[in-house]
Amino acid sequence: MIVRDQLARRLAALLRDDPRRVLLGEDARDGGMLGLTRACVEDPELEARVIGTPLVPALALAHAGGLAIAGLRPIVALPSAAALYEGFAALRELCRLSLCTDDERSAPALLLAPCGPGLGLGGDGADELSSLLAPLSGLRVLACSDPREAAALVREAAEFTAGEQPTVVLLPRDQLFVDVGDPVDTLEEPVALRRLRHGDRATVFCWGAATARALAAVDALEVAVDVIELRALSPLDRAGLVAAAARTGKLVIAHPGPSAFGVAAELAALFADAAILHLDAPVLRVGGEAGPLARDTEGRALPSVAAITEAILRVVTF
Amino acid sequence: MEQSPWDPEGVTPRLDASGTIVLADGAPDPTATIDLRGFYRAMVHARCLDLALARAGLPMWAPAAGEEAVTASCASLCDPNEWIYAGVRDQPALAMLRGVSPASVLAGHRDGARYRGAPGGASLPGVNLGHVPETLGLYLGLAAGHAHALKLERAGQATVAIFGEGLTTVGLYRETVSLAVACDLPLVLLCKSQLWPEAAPAEAAVFGESVAERARAVGMGARRVDGADPVAVYEAIEWALSRARYGRGPTLVEAVITQLIHPDVPGHRDPIERLRRHLDRAGQWTPTMQDALEAELRGQLPRDEEEAP
Repeated sequence: MIVRDQLARRLAALLRDDPRRVLLGEDARDGGMLGLTRACVEDPELEARVIGTPLVPALALAHAGGLAIAGLRPIVALPSAAALYEGFAALRELCRLSLCTDDERSAPALLLAPCGPGLGLGGDGADELSSLLAPLSGLRVLACSDPREAAALVREAAEFTAGEQPTVVLLPRDQLFVDVGDPVDTLEEPVALRRLRHGDRATVFCWGAATARALAAVDALEVAVDVIELRALSPLDRAGLVAAAARTGKLVIAHPGPSAFGVAAELAALFADAAILHLDAPVLRVGGEAGPLARDTEGRALPSVAAITEAILRVVTF
Repeated sequence: MEQSPWDPEGVTPRLDASGTIVLADGAPDPTATIDLRGFYRAMVHARCLDLALARAGLPMWAPAAGEEAVTASCASLCDPNEWIYAGVRDQPALAMLRGVSPASVLAGHRDGARYRGAPGGASLPGVNLGHVPETLGLYLGLAAGHAHALKLERAGQATVAIFGEGLTTVGLYRETVSLAVACDLPLVLLCKSQLWPEAAPAEAAVFGESVAERARAVGMGARRVDGADPVAVYEAIEWALSRARYGRGPTLVEAVITQLIHPDVPGHRDPIERLRRHLDRAGQWTPTMQDALEAELRGQLPRDEEEAP
């Protein structure tokens, strides 16, 4: 089953599990822009809790805020992470909701954000937005790296085990239509960081659509390299990151989107601050091209395997 | 009857400029259905609180004098469980009329105890009042979402949003209206319109004859009333709330208010004065009673608020 359909079934299961959950989105009552709401609409028991919203993202987010104040748990199926550019002011207000209610109300709103290259959209569609979203105080930002885990990650986010705060799950588009067989049902702990490869010559930090490329680079090398996947981009597991960095002292950060002014810069600053005595090479960031990118070149929004390989070799031989 | 450039045209009077009830066919006698003395008291207290807030020296604060009929009607007609999302200038009076002490309304605004320390900056969940986000018009979307939750729960309740006519030029207003109409939300939109906002006719900024007319054009129930006519305001809001509660969808009431800060506004444009004239004629108002009403509120304010500058 393709990931999109796994997600659609997961959303229906989430609505069945908790009557407080409602699903919102553009064309949601027709299955949604990507078909994510289809399984919910087809179930007569759930159909009433699927809300089609106008095209303006700010309104969908404000609507989610109002539903949350009234005690419900809105899930917003965004057409694209880039919708948050337009809805940014509303997203900020959603993040402040518990502050503005003296913590008497919270905003357990889950935003599903398909992002990055994969459908040949180009333009804003190639953007991943983590560097825009992670600085928002009060927002939890999760990124899916492994398509087999997408449904489990959404489930974990919808449980709000880390606190009732608005949560964005970044779902790389290049994973959505991949057939991955049986999905993972529940995430293995911990959620924030996970070691995907063991090695002591260098460490590659990665997330989202860049993870597959980082693994491809590492697996082709004859050098043993640690690969650490970040599933939570905000809040960061700072202690875990510093411990992982200190193990090898040779660090590469591979991530979707342009390198400058982003989450990778935050990580590099963290390592310089808290692990400086363990560093044995410059901290290298490997990102994609800055947009806007055309439809046929949108893949350049991700770092290439060759660039990641080159960065690993540079720190290893430094 | 007095007529002035501040009087809206095409509205049905229920309490005219002289304070006389205008009886209409089929409409109930408001003296029998509305506690007019309680209504008067609520409006006077709202005015006193507004004066105290004006003296508090809040940055960019604009007084709400002249707009009390809307807030006092809401406080009286809304069930305490029904959430009201009001603008920054309406929230203090609503909070007070819903039971927050005037002193703590003022303290919340002056001590920065809540977010931003400004009126409306924080929700007051204890009395079911929403906050005004810094993003222009966003609270209309919050109110619609809240109303949607009530609809899903079949609560038989309404959610109320109060705003000025300027906000109807904002995209989020139109989008909220679209969604509310499309989903038949139990949302009551209370728009306080000025005939001469910024001293220019409202048509300079808003299209069509009026906000109410535009609301009707998109299929929403709408009424336009004179905001200086407290009886008409009360009855229109009562009608809008009952439509929402009985599942007839969103409703807009446009109350044409006159801000009393303008120096040449005639007395009958003040809803308090108009109701005072009525009570006076009915032998239910005396200067002593007025002093007692004002003292009742001032006695609940901190000492320095009590002394007029």
